[in-house]
Amino acid sequence: MQIRHLILATVLSAGLAAALSAQNPGAPPMKLKEGDKAPDFTLPDQNNKMVHLADFQGKKTVVLAFFVKASTGG
Amino acid sequence: MKAYQAGIAKLTESDSVVFGISGDKQEDNAKFAKEVEATFPILSDPTFKTIKDYGIFNEKWQLANRVTFVVDKEGTIRHIVLGKEAVDPTGSITFCGTLHQSKPTKK
Repeated sequence: MQIRHLILATVLSAGLAAALSAQNPGAPPMKLKEGDKAPDFTLPDQNNKMVHLADFQGKKTVVLAFFVKASTGG
Repeated sequence: MKAYQAGIAKLTESDSVVFGISGDKQEDNAKFAKEVEATFPILSDPTFKTIKDYGIFNEKWQLANRVTFVVDKEGTIRHIVLGKEAVDPTGSITFCGTLHQSKPTKK
């Protein structure tokens, strides 16, 4: 009985791991690719200052680090 | 975001600016910025418009996927880092450095 449970647990966790990796895959289908024009935006920062991407054109390389949620790891 | 803060000096050295972006409300990002002592702008996109423009909106969880884009001075995407790798900015930082070495600024 216990072995059966163990097998079941193993199968379930493998399934869960597969499901999780599918949700956060290493390579999701991307709309944009290297060489594409970066879509422009104007968004407010934490100090209520508006940031306009086009303002940096010809001046700086811009690193856009999209993150999942505030106050989480990373 | 913490890791990006740690790498910020190198990014600035390579003539780059870094922005964190999420679908969080501004007040949540302000709190988060304090928590991680971020000196760089953390942008809020609560309508997910920009996140959708970049094609990284997670419909199921109503969140942005974790992706880093390096945009050169011409406004062209030159480098994309996906998923877990995007937590560590080393790749992007190194890439920014290479970008500027390969294309020195004209004086």
